[in-house]
Amino acid sequence: MVYKKIAAALRQARRAAAVTVSLTVLSMSAMADGQVLRIAMTASDIPLTTGQPDSGFEGYRFLGYTVYDALINWDLSSADEISGLTPGLAESWEVDEEDTRVWTFTLRQGVSFHDGSEWNADAAIWNLDKVYDEDSPQFDARQAGNVRGRIPAMDQYEKVDDHTIRFTTREPDAWFPYQLTFLLFSSPAQWEALGGDWDAFAREPSGTGPFRLTRLVPRERAVLEPNADYWDADRVPRIERIELIPMPESSTRTSALLSDQVDWIETPAPDAIPRMQSRGMTITSNPYPHTWPYQFSMLEGSPWRDINVRKAANLAVDREGLEALLGGLMVPAAGIVTPDHPWYGEPEFETRYDPEEAMRLLAESGYGPDNPVEIKVLISTSGSGQMQPLAMNEYIQQNLAEVGIALDFEVLDWESLFPNWRRGAEDPSSRGAHATNITFGWLDPFAAFYRFMHSSMAPPNGFNWGYMDDPEYDRLLDEARVTFDQEAQDAILAEFHTRMVDDAAWLWVAHDVGPRAMQPRVKGFVQAKNWFQDLTPVYIEE
Amino acid sequence: MSTYFLKRILYVVPITLAVSFFCFSLVHLSPGDPMDAVVSADAPREVVAMVERAYGFDRPLPEQFALWVSRALQGDLGLSAANGRAVTTEVFAALKNTLLLALAASLIGFTLGCTFGLLAGYWQGSLLDRLVTGFAVGGVSVPHYWLGMLLVIVFSVELNWLPSSGAGPGSSNDWAFEWAYLRHLILPAVTLSVIPMGVVTRTVRAMVAEILAHEFVEALRAKGLAEKRVFLHVVKNVAPTALAVMGLQLGYLLGGSILVETVFSWPGTGLLLNNAIFQRDLPILQGTILVLALFFVLLNLIVDLAQARLDPRIQRS
Amino acid sequence: MSLTLDTAVSPMAAPPAEQGYWRSVFARLRRDPVAMIAGLILLAIVLMAIFAPWLAPQSPYSTSMLSRLQPIGSPGFPLGSDELGRDVLSRLIHGARLSLLIGVMPVINAFVIGSAIGIVAGFVGGRTNTVIMRVIDVFYAFPAVLLAIALAGALGAGLVNSLFSLTVVFIPPIARVAESVTTQVRNVDYIEAARASGARSLTIIRRHVLGNVLGPIFVYATSLISVSMILASGLSFLGLGARPPMPEWGLMLNTMRDAIYVNPWVTVLPGMMIFTVSICFNMLSDGLRSAMDVKL
Repeated sequence: MVYKKIAAALRQARRAAAVTVSLTVLSMSAMADGQVLRIAMTASDIPLTTGQPDSGFEGYRFLGYTVYDALINWDLSSADEISGLTPGLAESWEVDEEDTRVWTFTLRQGVSFHDGSEWNADAAIWNLDKVYDEDSPQFDARQAGNVRGRIPAMDQYEKVDDHTIRFTTREPDAWFPYQLTFLLFSSPAQWEALGGDWDAFAREPSGTGPFRLTRLVPRERAVLEPNADYWDADRVPRIERIELIPMPESSTRTSALLSDQVDWIETPAPDAIPRMQSRGMTITSNPYPHTWPYQFSMLEGSPWRDINVRKAANLAVDREGLEALLGGLMVPAAGIVTPDHPWYGEPEFETRYDPEEAMRLLAESGYGPDNPVEIKVLISTSGSGQMQPLAMNEYIQQNLAEVGIALDFEVLDWESLFPNWRRGAEDPSSRGAHATNITFGWLDPFAAFYRFMHSSMAPPNGFNWGYMDDPEYDRLLDEARVTFDQEAQDAILAEFHTRMVDDAAWLWVAHDVGPRAMQPRVKGFVQAKNWFQDLTPVYIEE
Repeated sequence: MSTYFLKRILYVVPITLAVSFFCFSLVHLSPGDPMDAVVSADAPREVVAMVERAYGFDRPLPEQFALWVSRALQGDLGLSAANGRAVTTEVFAALKNTLLLALAASLIGFTLGCTFGLLAGYWQGSLLDRLVTGFAVGGVSVPHYWLGMLLVIVFSVELNWLPSSGAGPGSSNDWAFEWAYLRHLILPAVTLSVIPMGVVTRTVRAMVAEILAHEFVEALRAKGLAEKRVFLHVVKNVAPTALAVMGLQLGYLLGGSILVETVFSWPGTGLLLNNAIFQRDLPILQGTILVLALFFVLLNLIVDLAQARLDPRIQRS
Repeated sequence: MSLTLDTAVSPMAAPPAEQGYWRSVFARLRRDPVAMIAGLILLAIVLMAIFAPWLAPQSPYSTSMLSRLQPIGSPGFPLGSDELGRDVLSRLIHGARLSLLIGVMPVINAFVIGSAIGIVAGFVGGRTNTVIMRVIDVFYAFPAVLLAIALAGALGAGLVNSLFSLTVVFIPPIARVAESVTTQVRNVDYIEAARASGARSLTIIRRHVLGNVLGPIFVYATSLISVSMILASGLSFLGLGARPPMPEWGLMLNTMRDAIYVNPWVTVLPGMMIFTVSICFNMLSDGLRSAMDVKL
């Protein structure tokens, strides 16, 4: 407590000093005052600030987990360990052993929203109605649209007492806690105070998170300031002010960083990184749950139905060469998850570069450089998480041509490729392609495996684009889904993943490492192995 | 005179109606699904249907048009599909920045254009004239998005003197006429100014040459009239046309700044439009085009009326 | 013309349609050094486009990951290479085909359609004329760039859509010029006489009107090519026209923009080409205008 007061006093003093300085320098520009961190995001607009952000995971990264909390948060404190879950607005939770569809959550006490109102079971239920009850006054279609698809298991919810709520899922689902990390809680009191208007709430939002949003200029800037009363004292932000600026073009971000208009940019263009380094910029990176694959079509007539072709493709790609092409900003992939992950298992088939073996396998199936396998792939020109799609695909095209697989690309823009994912290989918009090249995140088993590999997820239900239908896959996934013991579940998933790698079910190419570039004065950032990052330990060294 | 004014003003009404109809039907030519902008492509169908109801995209088209016009008359252009904010607010916030840019570009273009035009017209056929004429042709022929990139390479990448993007260290709401903000305006304004510069130069040069070729100017000179008087005579005759040309140019700049705004990430209507196209944010697309077109119609009206007032030849007739 | 299309049309005296007339036009054009140089450069670029496969040292599509973003003057890449290691010189040469096509086609289309509309409106006159010209006026409520982008943006990216949008943009100004020229010619004595003698309208248009009006409309149309080039490549630059990996100057400018910090001077080459073609068309059009003694 005493410490906190001293810290606050110090902060006060520093702020006063900053004011004097900026006055003397005649408000040269924002860069004069020290404790401001200006971040250039890749989004073209400020993500939605009312609670459930849009703009994908970047929205959650900067305007979700900063201003708000979920019942269960991601633990983003380590750069070495794979991020796990940690209690957020719920102190604990348990699944009913009799009926595994029922989950009871004990809410954290003593937490208040930024406006001072109390976090309790009523606030929780109010927020659930906000996205699930179309008849409730606080129902918000935008927020509902942003979050409902992320919690497929949700069925019912109810208040038990002031600090306990209960959920019932559609069917037993051990992955429900992962899904709840996407449900964020806004302040009912603030919404009431603003006349029940979500637009007004967007400008003056109130959550429970470590940051408060103090200013919003649509399309241009969002300003975050610390919530000094954050319930987790270890995560009270060190920085005084964060300015979030949308900059969708990578050359613009590069130029903004080099000319000191911003302190931190997301996904710098790999080609510009040497220039940034030569100007003393810090480049951070760390592999995170992301995979860059070819997802195969298993429809009648697809060459991928032949396991020799699948294995040959995996053996023909020179992933080290690709890594060099990307300036080291990727990790070669040997499966959907990385080999250090508990779900990886112990496959016999080694995803390595071995063109001779690839040619041998193809010859076994009657193919060769003179009689190549002809395969059509849907690729995009750009897109969220797609890395350098054109360059990488052309590289793979060269690699595969050498062993006797002739790739033909159908180049789409990201806005067309992505919706095609759910439509599937049979849809006319797939133009008869045999594979699609869409990158994705695998934070939880549903996102990593189930939605692609389970036969029930074939279009239009999920992302089983290529109509994968393997009873053994289905059995293992179904079993994992109802195994509530974490270690036992991991073991089943490892068995599943082993089988999938041995099958060479997809072509696995790369994992992204999430590069960021920042001014050398930005300190304290620990890049977690995650899509989300913690901004609270960051500070500016003066 | 007043009949002309009245006719000209009344003429705006059918044009406005036609423009509105065009803007509405425009986006329904579009093959894209407006829902693509509203919900993520991986949203389940029930969520898509729920949002579609909430936005009114499930109504038949004529109903949507009627609703749109009746709301537009009250200044309500609907909600952005991409972010749910009011289109009117979005467009006018951006228009303010585009106006700033276009006015700055007009000012530069007009000043340079008049100077060059006068010089070239006075010394017609001289080396100076040829240089200026070449410069003016260059001004109207240059792909300005490319010129913008060139300026960025020289002044931002190589020399690091001027910022290459944005409207200032704060947001455009904090815009102030201070160096910290003005330096962001320089490159885009100069880039955008080459077109009006070229057009004004050519107009002024041609007019000056024509006036000076008149016999009575020769006579005035022969009578030993001070060159200053001749110059004043020229300016008086050229000014109304030059101003009218500039007024129209301002309108073209408002519409034409999309490429320059994209190059410099200037937060104006052009950038708004560009984003709306790629996010398939149809309400914003409609709203921005409508507002810009109506602004252009209004500007044309003002220029026509002002010219009728100013130009002695029209007044005489 | 500028990007503005303001047709401050002052109706012109229709030139006589004689054989000797064209000969004298060419004679005058030949004495105009600026127009001649511009014409020669354009001719060279057109030849370059036609013979691109023989002229280009490499295929415009062949990529090489090892030689990405080479600077100007690198061995094997005289004008450097792009983000996929493709030879920029070869892409510029091949790019001339598509860039010229999408820049010139809309004006040709609009010349045909716009002239037809304008000549009919001008010849028939009366209420028909009013209706046609009022519809044309609506398009004047949009600045050209905005109209092109609005149409292309609404229709979606693609070459055909961008051609269509630009054609729509250029029809109104051409129709307006055609209408005003025709209206003038219509009232000339010998056409009045032909009418009085009961000749059919189509015959009159073909025999007497076309020869007198097409010249001025043509000159006006050539002045639009420069704008059209800039707009067409501009649409590709915004991602609304040509699609990767096609070689097209505007698109090349767009895709190489990310390398502006790595390879700045290679990035600007495609724009240089657009600029050259655009300025040459402007100068040629100016020369043609004074040679044909057309006042626009």
